[in-house]
Amino acid sequence: MKQAHCIYQEDDHRWFAIARDASKPGYIIDTNEYVVVNGDEALLCDPGGIEIFPAVFSALSAECDPTRLAGIFSSHQDPDIISSLALWLEFKPDLKCYTSWLWQSFLPHFGGQDSTFIPIPDPGMTIRLGGLELQAIPAHYLHSSGNFHLYDPKAKILFSGDVGAALLPADHNGLFVEDFSRHIRHAEAFHKRWMGSDRAKRDWCERVSRMEIDMLVPQHGAIYQGGDVQRFINWFAALEVGVLRG
Amino acid sequence: MNAPDRNLHVKAPGVSELARIVRVNEEIKAIVSTAFRINLMALNAIFLAKRAGNAALGFGVLSNELRRFAQELTRHMATLRDMTSGSVGSVTGVVQQQRTSAILAEAIRLSGDGVPGVREARRRGATRLAEQQACLRSLDLRLRSAVEETQQLVELGGVLARSAKIEAAYGGTFSPALMQVSTDFAEVIAQIKRSLEVLGKERLVKD
Ligand SMILES: [Fe+2]
Ligand SMILES: [Fe+2]
Repeated sequence: MKQAHCIYQEDDHRWFAIARDASKPGYIIDTNEYVVVNGDEALLCDPGGIEIFPAVFSALSAECDPTRLAGIFSSHQDPDIISSLALWLEFKPDLKCYTSWLWQSFLPHFGGQDSTFIPIPDPGMTIRLGGLELQAIPAHYLHSSGNFHLYDPKAKILFSGDVGAALLPADHNGLFVEDFSRHIRHAEAFHKRWMGSDRAKRDWCERVSRMEIDMLVPQHGAIYQGGDVQRFINWFAALEVGVLRG
Repeated sequence: MNAPDRNLHVKAPGVSELARIVRVNEEIKAIVSTAFRINLMALNAIFLAKRAGNAALGFGVLSNELRRFAQELTRHMATLRDMTSGSVGSVTGVVQQQRTSAILAEAIRLSGDGVPGVREARRRGATRLAEQQACLRSLDLRLRSAVEETQQLVELGGVLARSAKIEAAYGGTFSPALMQVSTDFAEVIAQIKRSLEVLGKERLVKD
């Protein structure tokens, strides 16, 4: 069963990773959800699909009061990212969902109404959580054409959506990347096939290299920390993406 | 908990409601096409009676009545059809709400009743479901009474068909042709009656 692990804490500012669900049906891709808590407010990053809602909800409730959820950050429009939206709204009807303006009229197919969505413009925006200023960082075409990552400059954590994703075998169940070269083998095919634009990738690598990042937390697979963050960025910069095979 | 087991927990009930709507719609479509056939048959009967002239005056009057009946039946079917197409929206709402509530209930089961906000969420879901079901139930009642009205109309059609048979006997040389037409009428009306009986037994919501 999914559990929330605290990956960062300073006073009442915390990050939780709700990672790895060994009990979910095998035909559903495994996802990580992240919760940023600051004082009385919480933001859920990429809440996941309908099928895993009960597991995510209970893992989140075990660590923080779900009525304190102020918003949902949806990196893009995929079903494994946000198809559970209607269920979160069922729980909290006034929840706000931050997503690219590109998907503002697509996501209501999963749930919500006009007032639910806060469109993020292409250059990104600041998302305030109590006194904390989180940054929506553009990551368009990686892989979705309207795609954002979420940066917490105080915790130095970058939530990177599908970038950094690895489809790990069941026995690789550590929360963090332990052996980069062993780990990255499981990320290669995914990035080659899902990431469509080499130009967007180079631009992202260039911008992100200049940011201070202690942890790069992806939506699938293990978390990169310390030296592995730059190692990943370098690896990604050199990878040929947008290829069908090979 | 193993995977298939968890899937069962969140499996959505209520898919059969949509299947029921589809059955009702199909039944109505069948009656509509039969009603259209009656229309054509009545027109033919009118022409036949004209050709038979004085020998088939009574039959002529009846075939005019049968045509009016067929037109009335078509109107009834249009009303029924409007009702069911509207009900697809209501049924979809119920199915969605049932699925949402089932998944939310599973989430509450896993996290325990003490989690803040879950009781309110459950109550909201239950209220919405009850509203949607009430809406569907009233639609079901309206549909049933519309079917009953149509059944009464078809009874009248049956009487007309029987009288047409009697009048056909006085049709002289046209008698066999008139008899054939009125027998066809009777058969088609019997068919509509059977369809309406099936329709009358369908329920959009379980009692
Ligand atoms: Fe995706
Ligand atoms: Fe994904």
